[in-house]
Amino acid sequence: MRLLIVEDDRMIGESLQRALRLEGYAVDWVRDAAAADGTLASERFDLVLLDLGLPSGAGAGGRVADGLDVLRAARARHDATPVIVLTARDARGDRVAGLDAGADDYLVKPFELDELNARIRAVVRRHAGRAEPLLSASGVTLDPAARRVTRNGIAVALSAREFAVLEALMAKPGAVLSRTQLEDRLYGWGEEIESNAISVYIHQLRRKLGSEFIRNARGVGYFVEP
Amino acid sequence: MTSIRVRLLVSLLALLALAAAVMGAVTYGNVLDETEALFDYQLQQMALSLRDQGEIAAEQADNFADAQLDFVVQIWTVDGRSIYQSRPHASLPARALLGLATLNVEGRAWRTYSVATGDRVIQIAQPVEIRQRLAARAAWRSVLPLLLMAPLAAIGIWWLAARNLAPLDRLAGEVRSRDEQSLAPLAVSGLPDEVSPLARALNALLERLRHSLDTQRAFVADAAHELRSPLTALKLQLELLRRAGNDAEREVARNAIGAGIDRATRLVEQLLALARSERGAAPVVMEKVDLAEVARRAVAETVPFATSRGVEFELAAPAPVFVTGDAVSLGLLVRNLADNATRYSPPGSRVEVGVAGAPGGALLRIDDAGPGIPETERQRVFDRFYRRAEGGESGSGLGMAIVRSVAAMHAATVALDRSPAGGLRVDVHFAPDRSLTSA
Repeated sequence: MRLLIVEDDRMIGESLQRALRLEGYAVDWVRDAAAADGTLASERFDLVLLDLGLPSGAGAGGRVADGLDVLRAARARHDATPVIVLTARDARGDRVAGLDAGADDYLVKPFELDELNARIRAVVRRHAGRAEPLLSASGVTLDPAARRVTRNGIAVALSAREFAVLEALMAKPGAVLSRTQLEDRLYGWGEEIESNAISVYIHQLRRKLGSEFIRNARGVGYFVEP
Repeated sequence: MTSIRVRLLVSLLALLALAAAVMGAVTYGNVLDETEALFDYQLQQMALSLRDQGEIAAEQADNFADAQLDFVVQIWTVDGRSIYQSRPHASLPARALLGLATLNVEGRAWRTYSVATGDRVIQIAQPVEIRQRLAARAAWRSVLPLLLMAPLAAIGIWWLAARNLAPLDRLAGEVRSRDEQSLAPLAVSGLPDEVSPLARALNALLERLRHSLDTQRAFVADAAHELRSPLTALKLQLELLRRAGNDAEREVARNAIGAGIDRATRLVEQLLALARSERGAAPVVMEKVDLAEVARRAVAETVPFATSRGVEFELAAPAPVFVTGDAVSLGLLVRNLADNATRYSPPGSRVEVGVAGAPGGALLRIDDAGPGIPETERQRVFDRFYRRAEGGESGSGLGMAIVRSVAAMHAATVALDRSPAGGLRVDVHFAPDRSLTSA
């Protein structure tokens, strides 16, 4: 899963990026409103963590002045990417304004990393139209919170990247994801992508979960049977 | 005697008493003058009529002998033998002075008129006290109504004072009902002209108080808000330390926590520095300070940080420049400016600090080769917690606010401009100080 952090504070941004990468997410980070606006307009993310108090950034020309403007601009483009607002503004009016501007959730700084992770999972789950926290298909069950996968009730050990590929495929069983789409969800900017990495992960997953579990749509991509 | 009512009452009664006294004295004097003239004329007429008459009729002698009569008639022969006396009177003047005279006989004053015929001297005498008694009675009659009016006037004044002072009581009640939360202005309409200046002055004070409280509240809110960022960072860094899988990761996380704590510490220090330098904080002792020496020390403290970033400092302060100020605050000002210049300077560049005395006042100038500040932002950088998007430095956002606040404390102005060195030029211009001469 690919996340975008919009945060002007260097320390928070760095730590958050590192912590979320440890969770297995591909994490990108921008530091001002103009960059956030440009990035969201041109790239696809599974979720955005948005700070509200942002410097406007070079060349913004006053069009997007802070985080709320970034959010409003995205929603005005019919961009439905889930957004969790992370901010030090805790007044009720701010929370209401944030949610009404199109945020899916609101977390006040300083927050617990565990809570942030849970909220990320919840928002992604709701966004995918699911109520149950577990993903399952053809006897394989994936628990995003516990980061655990079982096959017919028996636990299967997966690496973080393997888990991320499987989670992407199982989020919408039957939907075909191309190699590039999978790479996008695995790697942030600046992370080196080995040319055959996805093939390797798919191979490992098939070895652990059965060769028929992940199907191949030739020339298009991979999917799991619903 | 601090009550206006009591003071009014006492002074008005005193005035009334004075008026009565003056009136009595004047009446007494006037009436005395009039009776004097009248009685003198009467004495004269009586004496002249007796002279013309030649002798005193028996009936008339009875009248003269009446003890009720004030007048005493005496007749002497030319050689001084008394031949008639209307009443025996021991203390009467025995010798006559012709014409009008005032005589003192055995402690009693008499007014006499004497007239001489061929063989006799006729004298009519009257005690002066008769006249005085008449004048005193007249004076008393004129003063009496005033004295009778005094109690009425006292009651009236008491009531009027209460009535006119009621707006003051109302105002006091309104002020008493206030607390630090209700600082809305007092109603001025309907107050008498003498009281409304007080209400207006109070309103001005309330307004200043409200403004000061608002500023304080905003400051505390801002400070709490700003403290959240370093705390958030620390919390995340701690989580990272907990999750670190190996020694190398742990080392990275520990260093990050150290940096996070340094940052929170610096923010708290800067907040305290700003709070101390703002108006109304603890009073500082303004004394003669050598700005060149202050700058030298502040730059010396910044040099290690600058060196770590490859930035060089150059100080041009050849002679002492004296200003009236607080050395600690001024040091803070220079430190913050030097710190900012360092943070925004590219490695390998130079920051120039100059202190110069001029007839127009001392000047502290700092030039750097950083990105500078566009004109549109030059005012906003003085706002608390304002951070510029560029530069990428996680400073406290308080440096320039502290600079402005210290400058204001010293009646100095801070001007930002483009530096010939390519970056920002900061000029801190001190007002000329007549009490000091720069050496």
